[in-house]
Amino acid sequence: MRAAFSDALVAAAEADKRVLLLTGDHGYALFDAFRRECPEQYINCGIAEQNMVGVAAGLAKAGFRPLVYGLAAFVPIRVLEQIKIDVCYEGLPVGFIGDGAGVVYSHLGASHQSTEDIAALRPLPGISIYSPADRHELTACMRHMLQGQAPAYLRMGKADMGDVHAAPLDGQNITAPLLLGEAGGPLLLVATGSGTRIAQHVVAMLGQGDILSVPCIKPFDPAPLKAAALGRQLVAVIEEHSVVGGLGSLVAETLVGTYTGDFLRIGMGERFSERCGSHAYLLSEHGLAADAVAARLRGLLAGAPA
Amino acid sequence: MDPKINPLLRPFSATDIRKAILDMAYSGGTVHIACAFSIVELLAVLYRKHLRVAADNPDHPERDYMVLSKGHGVMAQYACLHHLGWLPDADLRDYFKDGTRLKGLADAHVPGVEVTSGSLGHGLSVGVGLALAAQRRSTEQKCYALVGDGELNEGAVWEAALFAAQFCLDNLIVIIDKNGFQAMGSTDEVIALGDIAAKFAAFGFDVIEVDGHDEAAIDHGFRVLGARTDGRPKAMVARTVKGKGVSFMEHNNLWHYTRLSPEIYERAVGEVIAV
Repeated sequence: MRAAFSDALVAAAEADKRVLLLTGDHGYALFDAFRRECPEQYINCGIAEQNMVGVAAGLAKAGFRPLVYGLAAFVPIRVLEQIKIDVCYEGLPVGFIGDGAGVVYSHLGASHQSTEDIAALRPLPGISIYSPADRHELTACMRHMLQGQAPAYLRMGKADMGDVHAAPLDGQNITAPLLLGEAGGPLLLVATGSGTRIAQHVVAMLGQGDILSVPCIKPFDPAPLKAAALGRQLVAVIEEHSVVGGLGSLVAETLVGTYTGDFLRIGMGERFSERCGSHAYLLSEHGLAADAVAARLRGLLAGAPA
Repeated sequence: MDPKINPLLRPFSATDIRKAILDMAYSGGTVHIACAFSIVELLAVLYRKHLRVAADNPDHPERDYMVLSKGHGVMAQYACLHHLGWLPDADLRDYFKDGTRLKGLADAHVPGVEVTSGSLGHGLSVGVGLALAAQRRSTEQKCYALVGDGELNEGAVWEAALFAAQFCLDNLIVIIDKNGFQAMGSTDEVIALGDIAAKFAAFGFDVIEVDGHDEAAIDHGFRVLGARTDGRPKAMVARTVKGKGVSFMEHNNLWHYTRLSPEIYERAVGEVIAV
């Protein structure tokens, strides 16, 4: 996914000289190609994220297309007010890229983990929120973001979980959830980012279940989700994010009043990561390991209480 | 129409601005009078003699930028924008009436207001971005950013200062309204700032100090700073008086918060127009 991100950045900057990449002194190897191909469009703003977002707003007001890169724990969380006032209030075309979202920095602890970024941004008027699951979704999200003229946030989570789509999403509408596989059966999984790859493992373990992948949290076309949920016994949401305010909340808000089956949100609960370890370890600590999710869903499908 | 200085050639005085502030504050029943009074001469000189703007287009892409980072003084800016012809009489007359557009803090949706501020520590960074954009395009545009001394408590101001020096933004002129007060008391009592000019100099700025109510000194200061192109960002530390122009408001922080009664309004107007 990171190679696709670098490729998309370079292509965007080469196609449009107004594109500027701002970084808060992050992205060491990630920007090698960009710095080689487009050195004039690369601005290291130092370890000063608040100023970086204000500078991006000023550049955008004057006609540039800034892309602001940081770790998701800092961009958007540390600079939420700058995003709200300096960028969103004026509807400026600034793209934010939050890398390492979720618990990717599994050994570094709470300061570098971000399981609240989607929830923090969703209420801001006019901002788009992307959360790609693989390189194909990322490429489509970058294209959609750069075609827009509005604030946007692209959430990059664990990059090496593998493809969930077999081919590029050329021409597909990513503001609607993408159905993986055939529709039907009692179980629907709705997932975003790394959650989509987890959902695929869960479906393989259960031998059933359809998946809706959601690369674009906002704007969000609700119709495909409502249609896909109709008649299901269980809708479960999987995301490497808090169960409060993220995709789980979006799905609940969308389905309330039309869907009457069981509903489960699987993600981070009311706690930080107490211990450290591999990314897989932390996912399992938070109840997101595929086998644990599968066991939970199997019980629910068999009629156990949620 | 290309940007130029004072395109409508309308004369207006600091007294006109103070009178407009009192009228707005009185009809709107609002506060922040003293914060507006301390920047009157700074804005009057800028809008009359230095800012290049297009009369028919506040968003002209080649304009000079006037960033009011201390948004609490916005009534002074509204009065200037009124003289530029961008705000009609009704906007000022109906200040704070239901459904009107002029808010109590600077708001970028208002023609001629570059940033939404009042949440402090935002504007200078946006101004740095505007100055960087002009530098990248090799235009002659300048960016003036007016910050309060209380606002210097915000860490983001110093992030912006470091960045401006690193990127050699000599088209950026930061104006510090050193009136010595912030919301809850004097700056010395709250968070002492020490020598502001020395601090900006230490951050790599070309710094001058002026009497912020002496129009000739302000004008001269902007000319001196504007003529220097040595790669250093500029700072004008303006010694000002919070509440300047009305004897019982000067150095009296109550007028950060106090509303005008009819009697007080009449007394204040009397003092302002007697100048």
